[in-house]
Order: sequence, then C-alpha cells, then structure tokens
Amino acid sequence: MSEGIRVAAADDIDEGEAITVDSTTTGTADDIAVFHSDDGGFYALNDTCTHEEASLAEGWIEDGEVECPVHSARFCLKTGEALCLPATVNAVAHRVEVVDGDVILYPGVAPAGS
Amino acid sequence: MSQPRSAAIIGAGPAGFSAAAELRRRGFPGRIQLLDPDGLPYDRPPLSKAYLAGGSATALAEDSWYQANAVEVVSGTAVQLHPDSGTVVLAGGEEIQADAVLLATGGTARTLPVPGAEFLHALRTRADADALRGRLGAGKRLAIIGAGLIGAEVAATAAAAGTAVVLIDPVPVPLVPAMGPEAAAYLHSLHARNGVETLTALPVDVVPDGAGLAVLLEDGSAVAADTVLAAVGMVPDTALAEAAGLEVDDGIVVDSAGRTSHPRAYAAGDAVRLRSGGHLERRAEHWDAAVRSGQAAAAGILGQEPPEAAVPWFWTDRYGIHAEAVGSMTRSGSSVERGLPGPGYMVFRVSEDGTLAGAAGIDAGNSMRAARRLIALGKPVDAAALADPKVDLRRLLRPRP
Repeated sequence: MSEGIRVAAADDIDEGEAITVDSTTTGTADDIAVFHSDDGGFYALNDTCTHEEASLAEGWIEDGEVECPVHSARFCLKTGEALCLPATVNAVAHRVEVVDGDVILYPGVAPAGS
Repeated sequence: MSQPRSAAIIGAGPAGFSAAAELRRRGFPGRIQLLDPDGLPYDRPPLSKAYLAGGSATALAEDSWYQANAVEVVSGTAVQLHPDSGTVVLAGGEEIQADAVLLATGGTARTLPVPGAEFLHALRTRADADALRGRLGAGKRLAIIGAGLIGAEVAATAAAAGTAVVLIDPVPVPLVPAMGPEAAAYLHSLHARNGVETLTALPVDVVPDGAGLAVLLEDGSAVAADTVLAAVGMVPDTALAEAAGLEVDDGIVVDSAGRTSHPRAYAAGDAVRLRSGGHLERRAEHWDAAVRSGQAAAAGILGQEPPEAAVPWFWTDRYGIHAEAVGSMTRSGSSVERGLPGPGYMVFRVSEDGTLAGAAGIDAGNSMRAARRLIALGKPVDAAALADPKVDLRRLLRPRP
C-alpha cells in the first residue's frame, strides 16, 4: 500500500470543486483529480476522461458524479464507474481520507469499502 | 399489452445500443436480440475525426459487455417486419421473433441531386470512413460539398493530414440555426485560418477530370479534386416501417416513449420524428438525442414512464477546438455574447420571457453544462450576469448566501 500524500487542506477545495494532483507527485501514469463532492465527501479518480482527452477535475460535480466538461460522459465519484456513453471504460478510483482537516490521497489504492 | 418477454432491436447505433442497455438497467429479464449489418455496435462521431485520422474504431461497449448483459448481437439486415407477430425477416431468409420490436434504423447519407453524384464519397458508416481514409494526405486534393457538421469536421481532419481542401456550400455561413449567427461565423472562420479554402457556391455537376474529378459550380467555375465528399445530410431509413404499415412522415412517427402506430413496434434514433402535443417535431439527428430516444423507447417497451425530455445538445470538434450548443438558438428573443470569439466564448439565446432558450459555446466546459441546466430550470436569467465572463454560471444555478 502506497503512502498517503497530503494534497490540500479540506477547506481549500470548495464543495463542487476539484483539484488536479500531478502524476510526478502521485507516481501514477495519469494525474489524479481530487473532488469535493456535493455530498460533502472527498473522492479521487484518474484525471483524464476514459473517452477522449479531457480533465475530469474541470468537470461538473453533482449528485456524487462528475460529468466530463467536453462530451458529458458521467462517472461515479466513489467507484469510477462509467455511468453513460460516450464513456465505455470505468475511471480508476483512488482512496482519499480527510485527517485533521487535511486531504490525504492514496494513489493506486482502492477506495475504502470498494 | 402485458410486459413483453423478448425484444428485437433493429439497428445497433447509439439508439439501438442504448435501448438494449436501458432495458437491462430497468431489470428486463427477457431475451434481447440486437440486429445490425455491421455487427457489434460502434460509435460514429469519431468517423469524421479520430478514426478518419487513422485511429482505431471505438466500440460502444467492450466485447464482454454483451455476454455479461445477455444481449445477442445478430449480424444481418432486416428486410421485412410483420408487427402483428413481431417477426423480422432477414436478408438471408432467416427470421427472428420478439414480443416487442424496436426500429433503430438510422439513416443513409443523402445523395447530391446532380449528375455525376455516383463519383462522390459519403460519410455515414465505418466502411465510408475506411474508403475516405486513404485518400487524405499531403499532395492530395479533397473537395467537400456541404460545410455543416460532418463536412466541416472532415475538412479539419483532412487539412491536419496535409490534404488540400476546398469546402463548398451554397450558404455563406452554415450552422446558423444550430449555433446562432455569432458562434457559427466564428466556427466557419476557422476553415480559412487553417488553410481550408471555403467557397459559397452551388455545385451543379461532377465530371471526370484526368485522374480526378471536377466539381462544376453554378457560376461556371470548377473545382478540381482527387476525391469529392458529399456531406449534405441524411435520409431517415423508414422503408421497413413504411412497408409494415407504421405511420411515417419523413421519419417514423413516435411518442415520447418511442411508441409507433403499432402496439408491438417501437422506434428510436435518427429515423424517428416525435409527435408532441399534436405537433410533429423535426428529426433530431444528433448523437445525444439518439441515445436518449433509445432509453425512452426501452421505458416504453416495458410500459414504464420515459425519463423527462432532455434539453437538446450537440457538439462538434474541429481544428483542436470543441464547440457545443444546447437548447434552441432560434427562439424569438435576443442574443447575449460572453467574451470574445475564441476559447471560452459563449452566445446565449434569451427568450422574450427572460428565460434561457439556448447557448452555444467554444471550449466552454462547465459553463455549457450550467447553461443546459439553466435552460431546463426555465427561470428568468440575468442577462448582465450571462454576459460577464467573471461570473461563474454555476452561481446562477446554486446561489450562495
């Protein structure tokens, strides 16, 4: 299990917003988007949409889902499941925890409970 | 009619595929057969873009999906439908039978009504794209007749590959009804900026010219090319429905749940026309509409309520930019511009009652998603806020204290 990385203070990411953590920091092939969902939770997915080149961190966050800002594919923030066309491949989800007000990302580790 | 125990879907484009997926999502336990001459469903938008540029085909689902969801893909062409018995006759004489039959037959590329039309390429299927692919590149000349969505996207793909492209359309600025005049003018200006010659002209004849072709124009001039593509729209494939006695009026007439005039037959996708409130709407002919109409028909087949109608949306990708439009850009009212033509530029169509009717955007990302939701909300909008690029449109939807 990889080490957790502090990527932000929880207060620094508004609900409905996301940040991108560079792959040089995460050690993963893709950048990772860390989302503050409108349900209050923090979630992380590979940043690049599985359909075409687009950043999911720039997407529309609503109802625990993110909608790609280009072709409107939607993904479940918790699991990365592709919920509609044009995406046909699930996004990779990573574990995120909030500890003492800090957002800790575990690149390459499956979300808790999955 | 009681719940059907089996469904046959004719046509495996986004409408037919989405209907199959939605039947399963809603828990339909019966047999689903998905019939298409091309076999496994694939996505068409890349045919004028990434696939035409040499990319690989994009399936609508991974191969394992069909087994996991018990959707049987049948390679074949339907030539007859007997709706009373739910029997579909295939070109080879085989028959498939189902309690409910969904026609998702799409359409074919419209042919140009001029002499020499037989020399022209079309772009509708993967085979069409394969035929066009090898004809692009440096030293090759492509003339495209029709500068709408497909013609313009092929122009961009071909130009990026080094092809000398001439784009011919009788309308000076295409897509004005779809995008509004401001965004349409910007999009059209990208052709010249990327080395594509645009001509406002009416082709009247296509003739062999040496090893290539000449497109003769109404003004007496001619355009020489190695390849000529006609991108002049589509014709709905309604023959099966007509022969089966279903109501057809430039499209298979359906209600919001995909029901046709026969209780066992449903229809979805590019081939349908929606009757809504006694009025026949225009055929939608867009990818998102096809997906949603397939989902609506799945609900109809199961005797369930279809999802609420979505605000229409389409996109076009060309020259590295992503343009989208939602709602109606032709509703009576006024236009509001946000920013300057270029990335982030948007144009809103505000109705006379102050609600948002439509929006067009260039690389506008979440602002377009906000606009689609503002249109659905149907509440009056603040035109000054729309026009100010510093105002996050999400705030108009989710006011903060």
